[in-house]
Amino acid sequence: MASSFASKRLSKELIKMQDHVPPGITIVKSDSLEEWQMDIKVLDENPLYKGHTYRLKFTFNNKYPIEPPEVQFIDIPTSSDTPRPIPMHPHIYSNGIICLDLLSTTGWSPVQTVESVCMSLQSMLTANTRDERPPGDSEFVAYNRRRIRDIPFVYEDDNV
Amino acid sequence: MNIQDFLAFDPEVNSDHDVPVDLRSLDFVSSYDSHLMCPICHCPLIQPARLQCDHVFCQKCLRSAITTFRSADSEEFPCPSCRTPTSQVSTNVPRLLINMCDEIQVRCPFLAEGCQEIVPRGHVQSHVDKYCGYRPMPCPDESCDKMTRKKDLQREERCMHSYYLCSRCEQDIMEQDYEEHDTELCPSLKTTCIDCGTTIPQRELKKHIETCVEVVSPCMASKYGCTAKIRRAEIAAHEQSCPLVSIGPYFESQNTRLNSLELTMRHLQQRNEIFEDGLSNIRSTLLESARTSEGHHGSGRAAADGERGGQNQVDDLDDSTNSSNVFSSNATTYLLSLHESLREEVSQMSHALTDLDARASMTIMNECLRIKEDMAHTNAAVNSVRMQVQWLMNPRLHNGARAGGMRTNASTAGTESPRSQLTSTSAPGPSQAAGPSLGPLRPRRPSDSGREGTKL
Repeated sequence: MASSFASKRLSKELIKMQDHVPPGITIVKSDSLEEWQMDIKVLDENPLYKGHTYRLKFTFNNKYPIEPPEVQFIDIPTSSDTPRPIPMHPHIYSNGIICLDLLSTTGWSPVQTVESVCMSLQSMLTANTRDERPPGDSEFVAYNRRRIRDIPFVYEDDNV
Repeated sequence: MNIQDFLAFDPEVNSDHDVPVDLRSLDFVSSYDSHLMCPICHCPLIQPARLQCDHVFCQKCLRSAITTFRSADSEEFPCPSCRTPTSQVSTNVPRLLINMCDEIQVRCPFLAEGCQEIVPRGHVQSHVDKYCGYRPMPCPDESCDKMTRKKDLQREERCMHSYYLCSRCEQDIMEQDYEEHDTELCPSLKTTCIDCGTTIPQRELKKHIETCVEVVSPCMASKYGCTAKIRRAEIAAHEQSCPLVSIGPYFESQNTRLNSLELTMRHLQQRNEIFEDGLSNIRSTLLESARTSEGHHGSGRAAADGERGGQNQVDDLDDSTNSSNVFSSNATTYLLSLHESLREEVSQMSHALTDLDARASMTIMNECLRIKEDMAHTNAAVNSVRMQVQWLMNPRLHNGARAGGMRTNASTAGTESPRSQLTSTSAPGPSQAAGPSLGPLRPRRPSDSGREGTKL
């Protein structure tokens, strides 16, 4: 029952997004109701992200939308036809994991949708001016084996 | 109610429906406003509940959100939409909202079983409970665990799931499907196409007739008058040469043009009717106003003209009713009103003229009277002067006759004698009245006569 609730909600979102998606957002893969991939672009003139397209991976569990989806950037090497780097941002680790309270269990709200998450990430990138990774990026990337939802993020930085 | 009560209160638990319909999995036929959508499940709101911040959610969605987001039995939880801390939930939402959600059209959930029904969402539960013939029901035979569509349940309530062996195709057919199989679906049923003569299974007949080359069908342009009916194999050849086929598109376009013209004509007719209505309205109001002003004029003149007015008023009213039938345009009405006002002015002028005339004749008469009086006075004075002259002349005449010897006599004692002469000689005339009154003024000296003249 609960899983059908999630799938019904996701199929409704998909129908709506197939009808209309906001600018800069593209559905890449939505055939299963467990994992979607989206491409997002930053539309303004921010030199850090201009001209790049980034790939997002959404993983839904059967409690969606009561529980948040796992969202991360994925890296597609430049040698492929569609290179997708990990965007440079003080809250995005180089393995694509995003530190954003909206995506945590406490910051999530069931009224959020895939579309609204994509738009939040667009605006998070647009507002950024710092060309850097989060502190401790290399250790985190090297040693983290936990699932995204189990990482104890601390959301202390309201500036970016 | 507060959150604890809200979580404990679940109307869906004790619903008495046989098959509760999951309203979230329905196939919505009509599009609905996104504001009617629960932000959590993205379905039109089902049993909505309202928070203190006025955000509305399905009760069920809200319950799962509260259980997840409320921190350890606190009395508050953040609204999923705006994160306002909330402790009260109201299940009392506007009837309008519920009605708008309930009237969204949905398909019967038993579409897969064959029900094509489309009903408002508010009625889908009762449709499933009472009316839907495709709802699967447990077989009346308790030993059988299969389901039967509601409409297939027999009166005598026996199991329809036993298998029959079709005598023709040697297949096992369930009793509930047997009738359909017997008349249509059985592959052994053969039929002959009346046109081409081939024998085909009955269930493929419909498909065959659509494609059979031997079927005689009318020419494509039959609706434009081509009477040819030819086999399908040859119809292509005919249609290439048929003049009516080639002219067909032209007819088609003419037809659509005619239709659109008729449509515009109907519109124009309607507009014309509206305009005519308006025009007749305007005309009737004009007539109304003309009639009232006519009546006013008539009565006004009646008052001015005194007794003649009574007759006039009747005439005027007759005039106005007669002429009102003749009025057909604004211009006539305008001219008539102009005419009326001019007539009014002329009558005023004539009044003034009569007035003036009367006044002038009065003054003239007054003047005449005075002049007549003056003339009478003058006449009298002239007469008295004549008398005096005569009186004065008399002694002279006597003196002339007596040669002056009598002059002293006349001046001392002649006061009586001349008067007696005077009365005897000048008996007629007004001097007779003036004579005696002048008596006491005697004796008079010659200088007196001049004084008397100036006095007159």
